[in-house]
Amino acid sequence: MSLPRTREGRGPRDQPPTPSWEEARERWNWHHPEKRRLFEDAFFQAEGYIRRGSEECQKFWSFFERMQRFQSLRATGKQEEEAGRLRHCIPALADLPPTYDPRYRINLSILGPDAQDARGPAGSLPPERVSEFRGALLHYLDFGQKQAFARLARLQRERAALPISQYRDRILQTLKEHQVVVVAGDTGCGKSTQVPQYLLAAGFSHVACTQPRRIACISLAKRVGLESLSQYGSQVGYQIRFESTRSAATKIVFLTVGLLLRHVQREPTLPQYRVLIVDEVHERHLHNDFLLGVLQRLLPRRPDLKVILMSATVNTSLFSAYFGQAPVVQVPGRLFPITVVYQPQEAEPTASTLEKLDPRPFIRVLEAIDSKYPPEERGDLLVFLSGLAEIGAVLEAAQAHARRSGRWVVLPLHSTLSVAAQDKVFDVAPPGVRKCILSTNIAETSVTIDGIRFVVDSGKVKEMSYDPQAKLQRLQEFWISQASAEQRKGRAGRTGPGVCFRLYAESDYDAFAPYPVPEIRRVALDALVLQMKSMSVGDPRTFPFIEPPPAASLETAILYLRDQGALDGSEALTPIGSLLAQLPVDIVIGKMLVLGSVLHLAEPVLTIAAALSVQSPFTRSTRSNPKCAWRALESDHGDPFTLFNVFNNWVQVKSDRSTKSRRWCRREGIEEHRLYEMANLRRQFKELLEDHGLLAGTQAPKPGDSYSRLRQHRERQELYQLKRQHEEGAGRRRKVLRLQEDQDGGSSDEDWGGDTSQGAGDVDIQDVKFKLRHDLEQLQEAASSAQVRTRDQMTLLKLVLARGLYPQFAIPDPFNSSRKDSDQIFHTQAKQGAVLHPTCVFANSPEVLHPQEPEATEGKGSQDNRDPMSSKHQLLAFVSLLETSKPYLVNCVRVPALQSLLLFSRSLDTNGDCSRLVADGWLELQLADGESAVRLLAATLRLRAQWESAMDGQLAQARRRRRAAEEVVALSKELLQFMASKVPASWVPAAPWPEGQEPSPDTALLAQSNADLYSDCLRSFWTCPHCELHVPLTPLERIAHENTCPQAPRDAPPGAEEAAPEPLRKVSDLQRPYHCKACQKDFLFTPTDVLRHQRQHV
Amino acid sequence: MACEAEHSPLGMFECQLCALTAPYSYVGQRPPYTQSIVLLEESYVMKDPFTSDKDRFLILGSRCSLCGRLVCVGPECSLFYCRRFCLPCAQENAAAFPPEVQQDLEKKKSPRKRPSSQHGSRT
Ligand SMILES: [Zn+2]
Ligand SMILES: [Zn+2]
Repeated sequence: MSLPRTREGRGPRDQPPTPSWEEARERWNWHHPEKRRLFEDAFFQAEGYIRRGSEECQKFWSFFERMQRFQSLRATGKQEEEAGRLRHCIPALADLPPTYDPRYRINLSILGPDAQDARGPAGSLPPERVSEFRGALLHYLDFGQKQAFARLARLQRERAALPISQYRDRILQTLKEHQVVVVAGDTGCGKSTQVPQYLLAAGFSHVACTQPRRIACISLAKRVGLESLSQYGSQVGYQIRFESTRSAATKIVFLTVGLLLRHVQREPTLPQYRVLIVDEVHERHLHNDFLLGVLQRLLPRRPDLKVILMSATVNTSLFSAYFGQAPVVQVPGRLFPITVVYQPQEAEPTASTLEKLDPRPFIRVLEAIDSKYPPEERGDLLVFLSGLAEIGAVLEAAQAHARRSGRWVVLPLHSTLSVAAQDKVFDVAPPGVRKCILSTNIAETSVTIDGIRFVVDSGKVKEMSYDPQAKLQRLQEFWISQASAEQRKGRAGRTGPGVCFRLYAESDYDAFAPYPVPEIRRVALDALVLQMKSMSVGDPRTFPFIEPPPAASLETAILYLRDQGALDGSEALTPIGSLLAQLPVDIVIGKMLVLGSVLHLAEPVLTIAAALSVQSPFTRSTRSNPKCAWRALESDHGDPFTLFNVFNNWVQVKSDRSTKSRRWCRREGIEEHRLYEMANLRRQFKELLEDHGLLAGTQAPKPGDSYSRLRQHRERQELYQLKRQHEEGAGRRRKVLRLQEDQDGGSSDEDWGGDTSQGAGDVDIQDVKFKLRHDLEQLQEAASSAQVRTRDQMTLLKLVLARGLYPQFAIPDPFNSSRKDSDQIFHTQAKQGAVLHPTCVFANSPEVLHPQEPEATEGKGSQDNRDPMSSKHQLLAFVSLLETSKPYLVNCVRVPALQSLLLFSRSLDTNGDCSRLVADGWLELQLADGESAVRLLAATLRLRAQWESAMDGQLAQARRRRRAAEEVVALSKELLQFMASKVPASWVPAAPWPEGQEPSPDTALLAQSNADLYSDCLRSFWTCPHCELHVPLTPLERIAHENTCPQAPRDAPPGAEEAAPEPLRKVSDLQRPYHCKACQKDFLFTPTDVLRHQRQHV
Repeated sequence: MACEAEHSPLGMFECQLCALTAPYSYVGQRPPYTQSIVLLEESYVMKDPFTSDKDRFLILGSRCSLCGRLVCVGPECSLFYCRRFCLPCAQENAAAFPPEVQQDLEKKKSPRKRPSSQHGSRT
């Protein structure tokens, strides 16, 4: 006994050749890593079923340990039974072994290394141990098979139990007989997951299923893939803005409505699809309504195309009628009875409660649940509130109640939370504790949470409403519709009988509208009209919408698009319009992109455009705090530049060491997933611009040496591996919530990705995806080349933004400089008295907007309504005007007033000597010096024409980019000189024109058509300093002449530092065909030429 | 996509007792997904749908060695003891199995109801 002990831990070669069973058991330590390694070497080869070092391998060893413990218990507990019992003799079963062995129950066997073969890898292992190991391995594999099979069987049982499974044949049969079928069923009947599978199983392919939301595309594709057992095949795929899992083998693809519409745009008959499922049509999203119209027109041309409309059980006759009385398959939902309790709130007259929601009625419900239902009875609470502020108000009070009672975990749920934070609502509360989920209407249809037993319905919803006259978005609170109220109620009865507390009276309910107002009736239709134009569906006014939009909204949209230059006078798409139609962004942002690439500012503009297209990355808690970390990155030029700085810094941190970025974001008070979105969007914009020839294609990555190629390849492989592991692990387990979970519930980034202090163990999947999608080096290069290094670049960049944003401009109130910082007000064309959003850089430093030092204005400015003469007046260009409690200007840039108006306004009226200018009938400027005013106007005209032509050139001949390049260099230079001009001016706010000097149509300097600049009344004799021409001319005619005078040197505008270089001589835009009656000849003349010509005949 | 074609379904497996259906992509004793495992019966096999690992497979079922019915491996439908027995056949011949197996069979007889299990187990 003493001899072997000294040898313990040595390799197996030192083992005595035939140890007794007991002895071996004693000495053989399975826990010893060395021992394990020997077996892993022998059995877990690279191509084996279980690979060494894999997760599977770890799982096996822990199974092995469990099994050993179990067996040693059994071995001591009971004696081997004598198995020689008499059995009936059945010939067919006579060959069954007489003694029982659990291994006989296993239907597979391992082709492992042979222990008898001394030369093989297992040859040196003790045979007893080999057989022990083999046995365990067999049981492990069998266990795995049983588990997987049980999962499969459960999946199928659940599918079969769904209400819709009874309707499978009916749906397929109806689809065979009709082109359009409406499947109406409430949430929970399984239509979204099952109908696609029925089609797959029935042999359909080329199926597209549209969803209103991106997130639903992903989750449905996953679910359907799993249920149809092709999760890791490619039969089921999804396609959303940045991601696609689609391949040639894909039979069914989930995609957003917007994306399908883009397919229609490319191929109007949708030849790539045979079946279209349009899900959630009852939600009446703008795009969905439009898609229905497109389909209604398309169906006669595609008799082979089948369409399934899926809807909740509301208003199904509307859809059926729209498609020629299409048959409706009605699937009853699976709802348990729900008790409705009306708890109208007594009117609380105090004015102070108007500002903030009173949380008390909600807390009363929590208390009522606490007292009425024992904590052992499970059942969570879902509270529907109108918006974020309301969630915040109730959250605070509910958390206080949760701390007191110890029986609640309070969680917010709204769309601005990160996905990870949203996922928390699916976690389970510890025993005796209920979840209280405070949600916007997102939980009405889009997010389904199991286990809800109680619902509190505030009866309110906040929705964007659109005022077409003011072109203003308002976030307004409305009563919900009866349909919504029923949806909300239904959420309480999905897993058992439930209770719905309605915080309004039954009479209120009766007064609710039956259905929500469709989106098409309450939003701006610019993007829709633009898309309609680009799809050539004809006049939007006569398009057969399922329910037509208000005529005023359509007219406003058309006018707006004409204003923005996307449509021409005959409402046809312009070149820039057709480009804008393909950019999946706001028209304003799209214009910035185009303008930016025209002026070779693509890199910074890409970043800014992306930044302005996603939600604010600043966390709620730090948003209005002027002292938080990201404020250091603020730019006093405006908020878009702050975002720009944030993004570039983040890329820098990432390329430094990418895993640090998460911490950096947390420290700065930034939600990182917004930055990921920006990066994705930026890349998409870039590709779009490249596709349209506005941007040179990305250079193919440098080949590099084979070593670095190999390294890159390996890195990518590892990233893919990580991503796959993450996806497989995702959603596998629901966590149990901590009781104090809600402490940081208000801010999403705190929860983002769990606790990062855990260190290396957890994978930052966002970072992995980011690295897979972007070449970090490239992005970093782009970010550093996008740095605005010079003042000139900044000036041009601001011009690009401002031109894109115009007419979204606001003028600072003249009395701002004598007001407190917090009282600064601004006026837009349609809205007086707007204020800056608290996140806005100018909200903290309004003085940069004041034309002069405050002390200088003090004496004079406060007396007079009129600002002092100054060349430093500024305007604010803003991205959006959001009306909540006040009208807020969001994302502002400051721009020089005079030049901006001169360059961007659609029409510019002047008085006789051009000393007064009215831009777009709105802002009036008084210029100090008439002569320089005329010169400035001259430069304005020239630049505008040049800029237009540069744009047209770029757009129309984007492929011949180089040619236009020179033009652009000259343009940039001239624009800069123009911006540097210092012409003192002052505002004439809302002052009437002096008697007899009202701007007449004749003096419209920049009438849209550029048509007639010829006027009799304001002419005075003038001698051209260059060609000696002496004629009576209006100031505008002087400008026109100077622009065309062959002997005129090209001057820079007054005040410019250096003389402008000679620009390319071009045919003037002012030339018009002219037919002279006196000499019966045709000419191409500017108005001045006409005058000169006419003089010959006098 | 190459591996996709490799494992494309051959047909639908359907258990004749519980009607469970699933696409199978191999029938036999040497599943092509891995080198190191053999099956002890002619089995209907699919790639394991719950993992992206290409080596993994899932045995769906096989024919009863007595009556030839195609049955799934679910414990409600069949048992394996050296060979596959559909549960009805196993019940019928329970006496031929060792007591450990008989105990199991006894347990399954009682309350649970299955689509086409044999009648008369309770009176
Ligand atoms: Zn079965
Ligand atoms: Zn049988």
